[in-house]
Amino acid sequence: MLRTIVFSWEYPPRVVGQLSGYVKELATQLALSKVDVNVVTYDDSATGQTSEPSGVKAIRVANPVKTHIGVLTWVLTLNQEVERVAANVYYDSNRKIDLIDVFDWHFIPAAVTLKNGLGIPFIYSVESLEDHRSPTANSSYNMAIKSIEWLGFYEAERACVKSQWMKEEITRIYNVPAEKVAVIPANSDSWIQDMLQLYSSIAEAKKNAK
Amino acid sequence: MPNKLSVLMLSWEYPPRVIGGISPHIYFLSKHLAQQDVKVYVVTCDFPGAPAHEVVDGVEVYRVDSYKNPSPDFATWVYLMNMNMQKETAVLMKQIGNKVDVIHAHDWLVANAGIGLKHVFRKPLLVTMHSTEMGRRDGLHTTAEKMIHETEAWLTYEAWKVICCSDYMISHVRYVFGLPSDKLVMVPNGVNIHCYDSNEDMAKFRSRFALPEEKIVLFVGRLVYEKGIHVLINAVPKILSKVNAKFIIVGSGYMKEQLLNIVRSMGLEHKVLFEGFLDEATLLKLQMSADVSVVPSLFEPFGIVALEAMAARSPVVASDTGGLSEIVEHDVTGVKVYPNNPDSLAWGITKVLQDEAYAKSLRENAYRRVQEKYDWAKIAQDTKRIYEGVLGEYSKSFWA
Repeated sequence: MLRTIVFSWEYPPRVVGQLSGYVKELATQLALSKVDVNVVTYDDSATGQTSEPSGVKAIRVANPVKTHIGVLTWVLTLNQEVERVAANVYYDSNRKIDLIDVFDWHFIPAAVTLKNGLGIPFIYSVESLEDHRSPTANSSYNMAIKSIEWLGFYEAERACVKSQWMKEEITRIYNVPAEKVAVIPANSDSWIQDMLQLYSSIAEAKKNAK
Repeated sequence: MPNKLSVLMLSWEYPPRVIGGISPHIYFLSKHLAQQDVKVYVVTCDFPGAPAHEVVDGVEVYRVDSYKNPSPDFATWVYLMNMNMQKETAVLMKQIGNKVDVIHAHDWLVANAGIGLKHVFRKPLLVTMHSTEMGRRDGLHTTAEKMIHETEAWLTYEAWKVICCSDYMISHVRYVFGLPSDKLVMVPNGVNIHCYDSNEDMAKFRSRFALPEEKIVLFVGRLVYEKGIHVLINAVPKILSKVNAKFIIVGSGYMKEQLLNIVRSMGLEHKVLFEGFLDEATLLKLQMSADVSVVPSLFEPFGIVALEAMAARSPVVASDTGGLSEIVEHDVTGVKVYPNNPDSLAWGITKVLQDEAYAKSLRENAYRRVQEKYDWAKIAQDTKRIYEGVLGEYSKSFWA
């Protein structure tokens, strides 16, 4: 049985953009396909673990530091809580976690530490890039987010995107080798099969590396 | 424990990177822990010219990429630096087969790295709170200050034990973060007395700063409000009306221009020298040559400068506040004066400068006190005992 953790900064009932609904659908479909799915997400009040009918476990963490001077400091302190609960999932499941699927840049720092410290590989699933969200902006604030995105592509086993266009953007902006990027459109008929295959290939590679 | 006790020491500064007092603290604590058979891994920020890995006095020192892109502001940089520190420490932990028993973090500057590593590797976390944002700023006035304060609170919450360097800091930290008292332990700061062993002719060195008939009054510290340097400047004319002296101010800070203007308006530029930062050798000799060392702080968690002066056998006049109150015993190891009171400060300095027998007894008592109480070997021993205590409790937890 595949064991996974999914990192996303939005997950229902918290909806910021369309990522929330997508991650919910992915987690549900994976769970129905007999994958052990642990979603780690942010919610400032509804913290703790819940089990969904599909079998998905959702673990919500709050930011331990409430006052912030910007999104960056907010994200960077939240990462330690993400690490804490992800490590709990890891130790509670007998140290058998096959991979982490990380959505966008927010929890890349946690994924990188978990990879290097505990040997859990991760996929960097790209919903959007800082270059597109803040075009032409090159302040130190934007550069910091871009440096985290770069770190994500560098440390990830694979990147996963929903369109050929995004794949080209990633290879253009971050020089990511094309073969590292999987294109799996969310509207394709084979969507969940393709996702399962991607997950399995990473779990297999990890096993073989041992 | 069958294996050698092993500690992962996290600090944003370690020599040659020296910004404040944490850097020498980590250096001496680590060195003396190593001498007591503790394996120490120091993880710290990189510094131009310093190697990424080296062994210093038996201590493994690792310097990590401190995030060198431009940052929006200092606090954001701290969190970005912590992201890198955590990543590289995770790699190191894997390399050494997780052979670390405790993680020891120093101040909020490494809070995120310490907390993250604690949970990822399930190791007990200890923290030394060298200072607090609330103390540094005399309250919390901006969003950034509140954020740093909450980060400190989070760090003390996550820590198994919180070490402070004075009884004053213990009560301050307990009050500021609402901590249970059994979580707090006092271990004083130390001072290295051997760096003041010099046979050089001090008369010649002294002539660089003062005339033979002038007494040297020394201030060492950042030129910021909390250090009370303005109190000393206001006391200068009062002292000069009784004793011929030269005032030497070492250090820099945002109050420098303002202080220079006051000195100029008093027409005392020839009596008050602003030396800025000095190299260590010069500073040590200056401390040894000073006829009195003044520590007029308004907020002082510990007061290492007073201790250094005592080790350098220079009589100390310090304000009766914070950690200074504990270091200086009035009329025995130094003179205590009212904080933020130029008249009281002038009185204390004049008394030491006018009574040589009194000054001599202060020097001798203070030096003995430093040897007895603030010796790094003893401090490392106390710290090791705290590690062992924490490990004993940890071994009964489900993390072990």
